[in-house]
Amino acid sequence: MATPTADAGPIEARSRDPARAGRAAKPAPMRLAGAELLDSREILPGQWLQTYHAPEIVTGSRAGQFVHVRTGDYSGMVLRRPFSLNTIAVAAGTLTIHFRTIGRGTEWFTHLRPGERIEMLGPLGRPFEVDPRSRHLLLIAGGLGMAGVRALADEAIRDGRQVTLLFGGASARDVYPSSLLPDEVEYIVATDDGSVGHAGYVTDLVPDYEAWADQAFACGPLPMLKALARLAASRRTRMGVASLGRKRGGGKPITVGSAQARRKAFLQVSMEQNMGCAVGACLGCVVMSTSGTPQRVCREGPIFAAEEIDWEAGW
Amino acid sequence: MRARRRVVTSSTGRVTAAKRSPTVRKIKSAFASVSAPPAPSAPARPARSIPVPVAVATSPEIEIDLGVDLGRGLLLRNPILVASGTFGYGIEYGEVVDVQRLGAICCKGTTLKARIGNPTPRVTETPAGMLNSIGLQNPGVDAVIEKYASTWAAWDVPVIVNVAGESVGDYVEVVRRLEGVPGIAGIELNISCPNVGKGGLQFAIDAEAAGSVTGAVRRVTDLPLLVKLSPNVADVRPIARAIADAGADALTAVNTLSGIAVGPTRTRPLLGNIYGGLSGPAIKPVALRVVYEVAQVVDIPIVAIGGVTELADVLDFLAVGAIAVQVGTAIFADPTLPVRLVDELGAECRRRGLESYRPLIGTALPKRAGAPSARGVEYRP
Repeated sequence: MATPTADAGPIEARSRDPARAGRAAKPAPMRLAGAELLDSREILPGQWLQTYHAPEIVTGSRAGQFVHVRTGDYSGMVLRRPFSLNTIAVAAGTLTIHFRTIGRGTEWFTHLRPGERIEMLGPLGRPFEVDPRSRHLLLIAGGLGMAGVRALADEAIRDGRQVTLLFGGASARDVYPSSLLPDEVEYIVATDDGSVGHAGYVTDLVPDYEAWADQAFACGPLPMLKALARLAASRRTRMGVASLGRKRGGGKPITVGSAQARRKAFLQVSMEQNMGCAVGACLGCVVMSTSGTPQRVCREGPIFAAEEIDWEAGW
Repeated sequence: MRARRRVVTSSTGRVTAAKRSPTVRKIKSAFASVSAPPAPSAPARPARSIPVPVAVATSPEIEIDLGVDLGRGLLLRNPILVASGTFGYGIEYGEVVDVQRLGAICCKGTTLKARIGNPTPRVTETPAGMLNSIGLQNPGVDAVIEKYASTWAAWDVPVIVNVAGESVGDYVEVVRRLEGVPGIAGIELNISCPNVGKGGLQFAIDAEAAGSVTGAVRRVTDLPLLVKLSPNVADVRPIARAIADAGADALTAVNTLSGIAVGPTRTRPLLGNIYGGLSGPAIKPVALRVVYEVAQVVDIPIVAIGGVTELADVLDFLAVGAIAVQVGTAIFADPTLPVRLVDELGAECRRRGLESYRPLIGTALPKRAGAPSARGVEYRP
C-alpha cells in the first residue's frame, strides 16, 4: 500500500530526462502504416490483448494516444476502429491494443492470425501530460478504461515516479490480471459485486489516495469520469491548500486543449466518443468544453484536463 | 446597379484568377490534345485569357486529359474531388494525403455565424455505410476565411467552400463575404443538409425554393456555383431544372439520405440528433439513379457523390452522366483513396486507348437524349 511518505526517487535525474525535453517538441506526425499481428490472446472472457509490430506508428507515440485501425472488410464496415495504445515498446517497434468484443469490428480483429498484416493510422490525439514535479501518480481505470491508462503506468515508472492504479470492474472475471502490469505499480481493485477487492465503485477508493497523489489520470465509463471530475473540482476546498506550491490557474489564461492545460491539471481524463475520421476532419467525436465550444476527441483529446470538459452538457 | 457590381466583382476576380491560373496552365495544353477544345475564352473568364506557357509534363507516359471544366473558369486538374464534411478544411490529413493531387476540395459546410452542431453521438456505422448528424458545426464564414483562405491561396488545388444557411439571406451574406477572397475557387450551396432543424433541407425539397436561393446567390457572386441536391425528394428532376435555370454552374448529386439508428438499449434512437444522414456504399444505387435522372434534364455539369470506394464506382457515375465525382465516407477508411483514384482513372483511359476520360461520360444514358454537358456553361452576364 502506498503511503504519502513513500520515496519517489531523485527528482533531479528526472528533470534531465530526454523524455521531459520532448514535451516542448511537436508530437510525432501521424502516419499510415502497416502493422503485423504478432500475438493475440483472450486475457479475460471476451477481452483481447493483441501485439502488433508497427515501428512507424510506435516511434514518437506517447501514453494516451491512439491508433485508428482499418478492418479488412470495407464494404461491410466503412469506419476504422480506434484503439488506445495499451503499451508501447519503442525498441521492439511493437504496440498492444486491448479491447472487448462488442460488435462486428472487434469480432473481426479476434479472427486475425499472427503474421497477418493490417493498416493503422497513428499515433493520433494528444497524450497525457505529467507535470515534471509530480512524484505520485494516481491512475484510475474503469473496466476497458485500463487500455487508456495502461501505457502511462509504464511511462511513469520509467521516469521514476510512483504509480497507484485503482481498477474498477463488474466482478472478479473482469479484473485485469496483475501479471500484465509492471511490478512497481500499486494495484488496487474494486468490484461492483464485491467478488474481489473493495465492494463498490472504484471512485470510492479515490479519497484514500488523493492526498498522496500529485496528479490523477483516469479512463473509463462517463459516470465514473464525471464522479472523479466532481471530486477533483472540490479537492482544493476539501483538502486546504495542497497544491505543492504550484500556481494553478495563475498567470495567463490557458487555452483549452493545450498541453499546458493538461499538465497543470490535477485530473486528466481520456474521453471516448463514436469516431469517424480520427484526424479532426469530420467533427463526429466531439465533447462539450466549459468554454462552450465542442472539442474533438480525436484532435484536442482524447486526453483532456477534467476542468476543460463540461460534464453537465450531456454530450 | 447590378451590372456595375458585376464589373467590380469580375475585376476583383482577377485576384482569384492568379490562384487558379496554375491549374489552368496545366490543363490548357491538355485541352489542345482534344479534338473539340472548348470555345476560345470570353473576356469575362480571366483565367483563360492568360497566355499559357507549355505545360510541364510530370509523367513520362502519355498525358491523359483528366481536366474538368465546371464553368466560370473553375477548371479542375482531374475529376476526383473530396466531399464536404469528410475532409475538413483540407489540412487535417496532413502529410498522409497529398492534397495538391486532388481535383478539388469541398470544405466543411460553412454558415454565417459559428455553429456548435448537434449533441453526440454524431456518427455511427450502419450496414455498408454510416449515419452522421454533425449539425453543421463550423466556426462561421469569417473565421473560415481568416483561418484557412491564405493556406488555400497557396495551393494549386481549388477549394470549393460548402455554404449552408437557414434563410436565403444567410446564403447570400455568406457568399458575399467569400466573393473575391483569394483562395476560394468556388461555392457549393448545401441546400440539402438533413441534420439541421431549421432551413437546410427545406430548400432542396421544393423546386421554387431551390431556384430562388440559387438565383439570389447567383446575383451576388461571379464565383463558380455548385448546388448540392438532396435525394430525400419524390422527384429530383424539377428541382434540378429550377436550380440550373436559376444560374447554377454545376450540380452536386447527392447529399446524404435521411435515416435513424436505434441505441443499444433500444430505449431511444442512437444519434443525439435522432436523425442522421446516411452515406457510404449503401447509397450508391440511389445516387446513381439521381445522377441518371438529372443528367437527362439539365445541361450543366453534374458532380456525382454517393458511395464511391473504387474505380468501378467512378466509372459507373461517369457512365450515367457525371462529369466528376466526389469521394466522401470512403476517405475515413482509406485517406489515400482519392489520389489513388486519379491514378487509376488515368491508367484506365490509357488501357482503353483514350486521350481523355470524357468519352466515358454518359455512356449508360438513353441514346435519344443529348449528350450530357462535359463542360461548364458559358459565362452569361
